Amino acid sequence: MVMEFLKKYPYDKNIPRRTLWIMKPIVVVSKLFVKAVVHRDVAILYPYEDLWMPDNYRGRPGLRFDKCISCGICVRMCPTSCIELVEVLDDSGNTVKRPQVNIGRCAFCGYCAEYCPVNAMTVTPEKELAEYTREDLIYGPRRLACDKINENMEVHLEETLMSDIKNGNSERRVNSFMIDRPILDSSKCISCRKCEKVCPVKAIKMIEHGVNAKGRPILWPEVNKDTCVCCHNCVDDCPKSALHMDEVL
Amino acid sequence: MVYSSILNWVQFPDVMSNMYYPFNVYNLPYDISYKLWELLGGTIAWLINLLVPGNPVSTWLVCDEVVNMFALIIFMIVIFLVVFIGTLISLWEERKVLGRLMDRRGTMIGMKGFLQCVADGFKTFMKENTMPKKVDKMTYMWTLALVIGTSVLIACMIPLSQRWFVVDYNTGLLIIMALFALAPFFILVSGWGQNNKYSLIGGMRAAELMISYEVPMLIMIATTALMAGSFNIGDIVNAQFDSTWYFIPQIVGFITFFFCATAESERPPFDIAEAETELVEGWQTEYAGMKWGLIMLADYFRGYVACAMVTIMYLGGWLLPWDPLQINTYLPEITFLIKTWFVFFMMIILRGAIARVRPDQILNIGWKVFMPLSVINLAIVLMLKIGGVY
Amino acid sequence: MMAKDVLDIKAESAQMDTDKMWIIMGPQHPFSHGLWTLKIQVDGEIVKDAEPIVGYLHRGWEKEAEARPYPKIIPMADRLCYAASMTYTHLFCMTVEKALDIDIPEKAKYIRIVADEICRIQSHLMWLAAVGTDLGNLTLFLWGMREREFFMDLNVRLCGARMTTNYTRIGGVRNDTTELFDRDVMRCVERFEKVLWDLIALVDDSSIFVSRMKGVGNLTREQTVNLGITGPAMRGAGVDFDIRRDDPYDNYDKIDFDVPVMTQGDSYSRYQVRIEEMFQSCKIIRQAVKKINALGKNAPYRLKVPSNVPAGRSTARLEDPRGESLMYLISDGTDKPYRLKVRSPIFTNVSAAKPLVQGSRIADVPVIMAMIDMCLGETDR
Repeated sequence: MVMEFLKKYPYDKNIPRRTLWIMKPIVVVSKLFVKAVVHRDVAILYPYEDLWMPDNYRGRPGLRFDKCISCGICVRMCPTSCIELVEVLDDSGNTVKRPQVNIGRCAFCGYCAEYCPVNAMTVTPEKELAEYTREDLIYGPRRLACDKINENMEVHLEETLMSDIKNGNSERRVNSFMIDRPILDSSKCISCRKCEKVCPVKAIKMIEHGVNAKGRPILWPEVNKDTCVCCHNCVDDCPKSALHMDEVL
Repeated sequence: MVYSSILNWVQFPDVMSNMYYPFNVYNLPYDISYKLWELLGGTIAWLINLLVPGNPVSTWLVCDEVVNMFALIIFMIVIFLVVFIGTLISLWEERKVLGRLMDRRGTMIGMKGFLQCVADGFKTFMKENTMPKKVDKMTYMWTLALVIGTSVLIACMIPLSQRWFVVDYNTGLLIIMALFALAPFFILVSGWGQNNKYSLIGGMRAAELMISYEVPMLIMIATTALMAGSFNIGDIVNAQFDSTWYFIPQIVGFITFFFCATAESERPPFDIAEAETELVEGWQTEYAGMKWGLIMLADYFRGYVACAMVTIMYLGGWLLPWDPLQINTYLPEITFLIKTWFVFFMMIILRGAIARVRPDQILNIGWKVFMPLSVINLAIVLMLKIGGVY
Repeated sequence: MMAKDVLDIKAESAQMDTDKMWIIMGPQHPFSHGLWTLKIQVDGEIVKDAEPIVGYLHRGWEKEAEARPYPKIIPMADRLCYAASMTYTHLFCMTVEKALDIDIPEKAKYIRIVADEICRIQSHLMWLAAVGTDLGNLTLFLWGMREREFFMDLNVRLCGARMTTNYTRIGGVRNDTTELFDRDVMRCVERFEKVLWDLIALVDDSSIFVSRMKGVGNLTREQTVNLGITGPAMRGAGVDFDIRRDDPYDNYDKIDFDVPVMTQGDSYSRYQVRIEEMFQSCKIIRQAVKKINALGKNAPYRLKVPSNVPAGRSTARLEDPRGESLMYLISDGTDKPYRLKVRSPIFTNVSAAKPLVQGSRIADVPVIMAMIDMCLGETDR
């Protein structure tokens, strides 16, 4: 195939004779000058006009307060550790935990929106975020929530399993929240019930499996496969590391 | 004499009937300043007379000799203000035109951007006036003052029309060129005196650039004077009115002089003396604040002078050949300024389109291209003169 | 020969060159695109010696990467070279995929090609803008940035961010091409192919630009290979090697394109190689977009990968807009790398400053170094 540019401007071409030294750049520049004066130049007069950004533009993170289940996946996945779960009052007066984002540290990567299992964290196209002090840059849950969030601002995590591709079922899309579930190594469990307490969706029930040597009941956790969102809270908080996540590939 | 009302003090006599009138022909700015002093001085004299009737200070303020003296002082201010505002307008024009050809707006705030230039100048004047410790103090201050002083001097000495001049002398064009050509020497000494490698290199580059571009310029000035018959600016303009504008027979000279004028006023593409990306600011590196502001202003003054010289020598000065609206009698100054700003517009387009030329290439072009072209131009004019066409 | 004392050598040299001076084109300098220093020793107007100093932007990237699980390193890899962020995340994901020994879906490979080539065009436009400022022509700078804006808008359509895109994932890409992207990509490429001739006319049709670039910064073919220079700087000196064609990764072998090679070895030929690469990138984008549309909307684009990478060593290399970049990963079976090493092409290219600049004038130094296309983020890591 022919390389057009190198054919038109070869290395040894005698330029002065063809273009009268500098006439062509002057002509090109004058043409653009006339166009910019008669029509309009491309400059956007910023405070009075603004560029239109589509809905999936990654500005600051946004939160849908009522959808959040305070699972803490966004806290775990944030590369700059700028999200924290804090306690706030929700609309009916109960104390719940919701994420608080430090926009000063945020890298605007979109991981919190991508890995949220219920799509409560989203991206928003807000980009004018300047403040006068660093403390004002810490966005509490209510402040994160106040804007118009619509469905285009959600980021969906859709993966394909390698086993599905092998079986010819390559159009099925899943994600790890639907598929991976924790598995118990029963020899290590001490029945402390910590996993039941930290599960955000109450998917763990302690089931009795007999009595131990001291006469106390042996309780082992059982995970409800339909409601679990694979948030890794139980895996991280187990003091004996008895639970590990089973990744289905 | 009995002076009872202000109208006794503020009269408006004919300016040329004054015994001490310093010029030969009617001079408009002098007329304006004469009348301004009549107003101002007359008012002050009347006020003092109200307090102390019949005092000698009041009569002294409005007598013939003293009116001339104060009128001269106001005359200097009027001339400088007009030139200053003309240069500010060319600075504003550069920013807007350069913006549009780069596909953006230029400055936008304040009367379509004009007041921004004023505000920028004001800001530089408010900055701290520093002097680095190790520079040569006398050189540092004096060369700067001389560079700026000569630039403002020649800017004020260019006549805008038959009746707007400072001195009407028979060697007008030569004197402008001589003062214009003084600056490179001061730049060279200033670059040395700043005790900084960048400034030294910048100063040497400026000197070598300007010296090599003065030779074609002088040849072309001599050519124009030959064609018109004298060095007097008024005579050159009138000669162009009688025949054609001189850029038609001297088209080669017009283009060459245009490029030499761009080089002499250190505008891009010939701005190696202050090349930003190579040597931070060249010979202006150590000047900060108000001094740098004045250098920038002097740069634009020299650009204005270069464009004015092009207008006088090639574009017919302040007269239009076809004049249905009688502009030639009423407003020749505006014609002259508009032509100057048009030549500046062409310089701006040149700046936008072309890269900076390397110093050795500049010297090559100056000696090997422009000087032969100016000699060819001289030959063409000689043949036209001998053939009796002009 | 007797061993000389250091002080004796210094005294000798101080006596010999009394008329040369060291100019430090220091960190605060309008010409350096980034924060680095170039010290040149000058005799009148000719440069005799040069010494580049880099490292002002060192952020400890490789050490930071040892403390994070693999998905969290991807936003960091974006910021390695902030002007060309897609290629470094692509490189990182390729390295981890080699360590995991998996094969990503076809659609993901073609989308990665499109993203890479958009990144290449955008990076070369930024280089062209920098050439404009170095040579004193601000018009080229603003026109180059204007064109770059269109490609950054394409990035927004694709993944939501203009520069640090965070788009490739281990196992594929983050999301499928959106409707806005499908509508706009061919419009943008076709417009660009016409407008680029205008930008070229400013440079190639102006004898001032060309005479400033021709004949400066000469390197022979053997010198280029010995110094380890890669990328367009190498292809401008006659070495015919491009990783996309000769060691293809991610389906580049199914796309038909030319690799421009010039034999003269000076700044002008490096400039011409980069401009021609921009045109070839447009060609590649066209073919890849056709193949993506042929695969349909339901084809998979992202694989689910295990979070623990088996122990071992893996390497991957890629044709960055600036040269050949390479990552070397030692994994130990956990979800964090044991060692991750980045080879940046500019780090090697800038060490060739001395042979490039020796013998030219001061006024040529910015032109020569502009052709190397520095981006300090990846040099200093």
